[in-house]
Amino acid sequence: MKTRSTSSRDDGSGGDHPLYRFRLFVAGDEPNSHQARATLERLCATRLPDRCELVVVDVFADYQTAIEHRIIVVPTLLIESPPPVRTIIGSLDDEAQLLAALGLSEGGKRP
Amino acid sequence: MERKRKRSPTVAARQPLAPPAPATSIAKAPTFVRGLDEILEGGLPRGRTTVVNGASGSGKTLFGLEFLYRGALHGEPGIFIGFEEPPEQVRQNVATLGWDLPALEEQNRLLLLDARLKPETLRSGSFSLKGLLAIAAGKSRAMGARRIVLDALEVALRLFDTPQQVRSELHALNDWLHAAGLTTILTFRPSLRGEALIYEDFFESMGDCIIALDARVTEQISTRRLRVVKYRGSGFGRNEYPYVISPTGLRVAAITSVGLRHKPLGEKISTGNAQLDGLLDGGYRRASCILLAGLPGTGKTTLAATFVASACARGERVLYIGFEESEAAMIHNVTSTGIALQPHVEAGRLAFLTQYPEALGAEEHFMATLDRIEAFSPQHVVVDAISACYRMGGKQAAFEYLMRLLNACKEKGITILLLNQLSGVTSYMEISGNEISSMVDTAIFLNHQFSLGETNRVFQVLKSRGSRHSNQKREYRITDHGFVVEDVYLGEGDVLTGAARQRQEQRDRLEAQRLAHEIEAKELELKRLRLAQEQMQQARAQRAILTHPEKSGAPPSAGEPRP
Repeated sequence: MKTRSTSSRDDGSGGDHPLYRFRLFVAGDEPNSHQARATLERLCATRLPDRCELVVVDVFADYQTAIEHRIIVVPTLLIESPPPVRTIIGSLDDEAQLLAALGLSEGGKRP
Repeated sequence: MERKRKRSPTVAARQPLAPPAPATSIAKAPTFVRGLDEILEGGLPRGRTTVVNGASGSGKTLFGLEFLYRGALHGEPGIFIGFEEPPEQVRQNVATLGWDLPALEEQNRLLLLDARLKPETLRSGSFSLKGLLAIAAGKSRAMGARRIVLDALEVALRLFDTPQQVRSELHALNDWLHAAGLTTILTFRPSLRGEALIYEDFFESMGDCIIALDARVTEQISTRRLRVVKYRGSGFGRNEYPYVISPTGLRVAAITSVGLRHKPLGEKISTGNAQLDGLLDGGYRRASCILLAGLPGTGKTTLAATFVASACARGERVLYIGFEESEAAMIHNVTSTGIALQPHVEAGRLAFLTQYPEALGAEEHFMATLDRIEAFSPQHVVVDAISACYRMGGKQAAFEYLMRLLNACKEKGITILLLNQLSGVTSYMEISGNEISSMVDTAIFLNHQFSLGETNRVFQVLKSRGSRHSNQKREYRITDHGFVVEDVYLGEGDVLTGAARQRQEQRDRLEAQRLAHEIEAKELELKRLRLAQEQMQQARAQRAILTHPEKSGAPPSAGEPRP
């Protein structure tokens, strides 16, 4: 299951407006997965318009991809770009924490 | 998968005294771990969860892997989920046991899943183990898995903050495992400080079968024990069983410490020495335990070798377990007493198992011995000497090694000859050795006896169960043609040896001579008396003729009245 919230505007090479690539592993529509997905989609829409690519993987539908990425718990968010790859597990309740991890703490600008 | 539980024929055949299996016996999945299925009366509960706990180094990962590896070889694909060790390490660890996991993985009969959380992982909010469940479920369907192992599950559970979360994760896991019908092993390491008790309780309630592995080091020798703590719906061996990591995998000694399955003692067999056979009313008994105890140099090994040679000459097999000497030294030493063992070795009737007692722990020693016994299937086993067993790690280790060996031999109907080297003070406890006296059927005590400035050798049969035997002390010599028992001479309530015996013999000879002379004298006297009697009779006859010449027909006397 792929969701491209917005098509990428540039080539993703970085600069002032890097492309964010997210891969979110969920388990169907169970509450934690639902919440994580909602949080991430909102963030993409509000903070990263036009520079966010979100791929959602339902582990029950595609366990092979889950194996490849060594997924144990869901939801698991992989921030594949910009590097380095980071992993965040959980329902992403704390948006501030997520923003910090993305380096977006300061009003949408990169530090 | 609800196959009828099959009891292995060995278990069925060996349990005449064990309580009968419950009528509603549950389906079992054999572990194929040597010795374990006997204890579990067939295997782990099929389609159910078994919890294996043990400290690090106790072999619980190996336990799980062997269950999968052997299961896969027997047509039951399996999944290993490792929360602690990366698959590459797992493969390497067991490659030394000769297990080719990659081959099974290629054939889709085994899957090693890396379930370690990446170290740089951040946490934000709630999550569950459903990712893992989804992978396991998908893979399990694809492979047709029948078995699954979750190794070091407590590592994953540490991710959760509250007991409620842990409980709910375990419930979800349990529900899925049940639904999938997988035979499961969960392993976990009990916490040392009790901090993880929360999920230990959950674990235990999830397990239909709980097995505790205990590894400890005492007197610098490691000992490993396996215990089945519970087994819902099934009987099981309730002892602590020693286990080792053998060169091919785990090995559990399914030997009870209370021998209920002992074979009865068999017929008499020669000790190899006709005189000793006489004293024992025919010899040792088959399947019995014979103890030869004595000070160094009293000829225990010679007496044992005498028996070995005679058993081998009958075409029987003997395993000689040597803790004191090498095979070559032992064979050479008894050659001087005219006992040739080398031909028996060459003919494959005599095998040696020589080891330093210190080299291994009691369990490893016992397993090595049992392996050898099973491979060679001897009729007789000699242990030279049980006194050396203390060096396996103390008195308890020696006792356990011997008890298990004795039980194994008694269950297999093997005659076992124990040599015990005494240190000097000879209490009966020491003679009988290692508190195993109740197991000993025949005890022979070899000793030095000092008298009249010499040392001689005497032996005494202290006990011989189920047969008449002489309990006299007897002198013996070790000669260049073996063990020679001297004829008995009783002195003042004790056997006479050496010079004292010779003096007694001389005394006896003189006495016999005196008696012989006496008889001769009596006979002469008798002859003389007979002669004298004859002479008297003759003389009387002569006198009668002279005084009555007309005796015949003549009237009696002049004074008699006539008719």
